[in-house]
Order: sequence, then C-alpha cells, then structure tokens
Amino acid sequence: MLEATSLSTSILADRLGRSEVFGDLCQADLLAIAEFGHEETFDEGQVLLVEGEPAEKLFVIERGRVALDKKVQLGRHSTPRSATIDYIIPGKIAGFSALVYPHIYSTSAVCVEPTRAIVLDGVALRRYMEQHPAAGFKILATLGSLVSNRYRQATNTLTYFLSVVSHELRSPLAAIENYQQVLLEGFAGELTSKQERMIKRCLLRVTDLRGQIGDVVDLARMRPEQIQMDFTWWNLSVVGTEAIDDVRLAAAEKDIHIRVDPPPAFEPVVGAPRRMRQVFTNLLHNAIRYSPRGSTIIFRAWYEPDAMVVEVEDEGPGIPPEDLPHIFKEFFRASNIEGEPGMGLGLSIAKKIIDAHDGQILVRNLEDVDGKTGTCFTVIIPKNLKTPEMHRQLWMEAEGNG
Amino acid sequence: MDKQPYILIVDDDPDILDNIVTVLETQPYRLATAQDGKKCMEMLKQDVPDLLILDLLMPRMDGWGVIREMRSEPRFARVPIMVLSTVIEDASRRRYELETGMAMDVQEYIQKPIAPTELIRRVEKMLQVTNHA
Repeated sequence: MLEATSLSTSILADRLGRSEVFGDLCQADLLAIAEFGHEETFDEGQVLLVEGEPAEKLFVIERGRVALDKKVQLGRHSTPRSATIDYIIPGKIAGFSALVYPHIYSTSAVCVEPTRAIVLDGVALRRYMEQHPAAGFKILATLGSLVSNRYRQATNTLTYFLSVVSHELRSPLAAIENYQQVLLEGFAGELTSKQERMIKRCLLRVTDLRGQIGDVVDLARMRPEQIQMDFTWWNLSVVGTEAIDDVRLAAAEKDIHIRVDPPPAFEPVVGAPRRMRQVFTNLLHNAIRYSPRGSTIIFRAWYEPDAMVVEVEDEGPGIPPEDLPHIFKEFFRASNIEGEPGMGLGLSIAKKIIDAHDGQILVRNLEDVDGKTGTCFTVIIPKNLKTPEMHRQLWMEAEGNG
Repeated sequence: MDKQPYILIVDDDPDILDNIVTVLETQPYRLATAQDGKKCMEMLKQDVPDLLILDLLMPRMDGWGVIREMRSEPRFARVPIMVLSTVIEDASRRRYELETGMAMDVQEYIQKPIAPTELIRRVEKMLQVTNHA
C-alpha cells in the first residue's frame, strides 16, 4: 500500500543532497528540486516503474532495495521473461529515463524489500534543469557517469556469463557427445539396431545443442575487428568441404542430398576461414532444417572479376514475403516454421560474419515453377580484402614513402 | 621387438579421459593419464612420452602453462603435443602469444569432441611423423 508522508522541504532537500545524482548541487537548487518531490514507502514486490512506459518519475532510494528488471523474449511467440540486471541500493536512483530523451523507462523497477524513496516529478525537474543550466549540467554529468557504470557492469556481466557458458556448458556436452560417438562406433561393444538409432538421435540433438550454445556465445562477442584479426588466405574447396562434413549427419537423417556445383577452378581469397565455415554450415543447416525429406540442396560457387559468390539453394517452402526483411535479425524466426527447433541465431551470425568481410548476404525465394518452391541464399565476398600482415606491409611502405 | 609408443593423456574431465583411453587402448600403444598440469609435468619427468594429448582449461596448472614449461626445457621441447580442448584455436593461440610473446608450438589442435576413428587416425599420423623425424 502506498503511503505518502509529508516532510518539510528542507528535510527533503537535505536527503536529496545525500543521493548520488544531486550530491553536487548547492542548497538553493536542492530546496527548489525538493519542491517537486515527496517521500513514499513501498511494500516488497511493489512495482515502481515499468519498462517501455513513459518516464515521468525519478525515484531516489533511501531505504530497502530495488531490482531493475529487463524483459527478455526469445523469438516472437515465446513468453517474455524478466531478468534482473542490477539492484538499486539507498543513495542511488531508479528511473533516470525521466531525465533523458525519449523519456521512456528502459527497465522495470521492483522493490525486493520494503523500500522508502523520494519520488520526484520528472517533468518539473526537467523544466528546472532547462531554466538552471548550471544545476542541470551537474545532474546530467552525474547521470552520464552513472549510465556509463551501468553499461560497464552490464558488459562485464555479459563477458563473465559468456566465458562460463562457453566453457562450463560446452565441456559436459563434449563428454556426452564423446561417449555417444564411442558407443556408436562400437568401441564399447556391439549395439542392437534400435540402440544404434537412439544413440544417433541423442548425438544429433546434443550436437545441435552445442551448436546453439556456440551461437549465443558467438553472437554476443562477434565484433568485426575480432573477425578481421583472423583474416588469412583461404580456399573454398577446403572450407566448403568442411562445412558439408559438418552437416552430413543432419542431411542423412532427412535423406537430403547435397549437390555441389563447384567453379571450374578454385582461387584463394582473403577472409576468416573458420568464420566462413560457420556461415556455410549455418546456411546448410538452415536449408536442411526447412527442406522436405528426400529433397536436394545445391551448394554452388563461382568467381566474378572482383568477388567470390557462393549460393545455397533449397527446395523448402520459401520464406513469407513479409518476413524477408527481418530474416537476418537476431532471434528472428519466420512465421511459417512453427515447431522447428532453433533459436533463429544462425542467419544473424552469418550476416555479422559477412559484414565483417565487407561482403553481402542476400536471400530470395525461387520462382514458383510447377508448384516447386525454394529459397536461395547468396554470399558475396570481395576479392580485395587484406590480411593483417598485408595491412602492416602497406603501412610500412606508406611510412617509408612519407 | 618394437617398443610400443607411449602416450600421455592429460584432461581434468574423467569422462573425457575414459573416452580417449577406451578408444586408444584398442591400438598398440602404452597409455597413461593425468588430471592436471602439475601431475602432467611430474609424469613427463619420469618418462618422456612419444605423444602428449593435452587439455587446456585445467586446475593447478593449465595446458598453456604445460606447453610453456615443456618448450623451455630441452628434454621436452620436441615432444609432439596434440591439444584437445573446448577452447577455440584462434582464441587459444592468441592467449598463448599474449602471455609468452611466442607462437604456440603444438603439432595438432583439435576442438572437442572428436570422433573416435578420427582420433585414432590423427594419433597414428602424429606418431609416424615423429618416427621418421
């Protein structure tokens, strides 16, 4: 139950002066700002502000603890969940969005303990800041460092989370996968055909899961500079074969044939081969996932004067036209593939990799001929990319000439 | 009589050790295992292996530490090393270079998991290379 208490302006001003955002202000400013506020107490579980709603109030927490929650939704149809990204303790503020354009709360705030706060009218405070630029500047400067700290903390948490996810989750999976392979290849005795089928299924699911964990980790830490650091000369004949090997089991499972249309001769190009393998593996996996049983996937490549072009074409249902513009977005899954496993990360990862190569990734639905449908993904990699060593050489030459 | 090649396998995950031993004991090799880098260094000193299969993220002393110590010690400098880890190769090599200023001198790098027949093939290949050297 809300309970507003009326405190004298001077006591309120005094308390505001002890908070992180208003600590630098002079008494006159504090007294003026105190006029826009009142003190309130909140019960445990009470919601102070809601993500996405207009930000009209700023809360200066005096007692208790408030959780900042962010809505997380994987895919369009899943239930949104909320994740706590930070806790606000006495002296700190919740709802700084009230002072910052576009004045929409960027998180929700929920009391996790009985809480007392000074609630300030954000609109009035904004107006005061406009009219008193010196005070306004101090408040915004503190706000800037607060936001930057929060961002740093979020980045640290993410990095830590990723390292834990990548090692702690992948290790047990590797052990499970290994046991299944050892069983499957008969190193622990002969299997009945039923056992063999079941272990094959286990292996496929575990491999998928490991891939998905890898996707999440990759997506979060994949920056163009990191990808470009690994640039080296590579050949599609090698990397393409590896990618096809990666999906062989999944293709066999659906009785899908992968037809390769190679160029007359392969040429080496510069790029990040491990990442490119990931692009092709993702595209092939995607094609397999949405292809009908027993169909054919075409993996073709050719060279233009200034680029290498690779295409992966399937005989799947095609992508609904309204979904085409979103297909490379994170966590996006097309609306006509309900029930297919996956998180919709493969294509956005592929796009990030191709972007780092200054290349293009395009998608189009094939013309509907005799009721036959399909989708074709095209990857274009320019031939003029440089390895870090080539960049270094160029700099040295430029230095020498300068 | 031909001496059986001696392979030392180091991994902190007992299940991975179980898997590798199950697969490699079908071959004419002599195998030993260790579960951390310190133990690995002790065992190396007792008997120099023909091949070291090495995990990277381990307690007490990690695999990068083992590589660094081995490569600075003439007795072990030429022992072929097969890294078998969940750590991605690029990231791993970069970390070693940053820490030591040198390139990571390992003869094979495999990201876990590896299919049994593939493991046998690669081990065999590495041992052949050593024999002919």
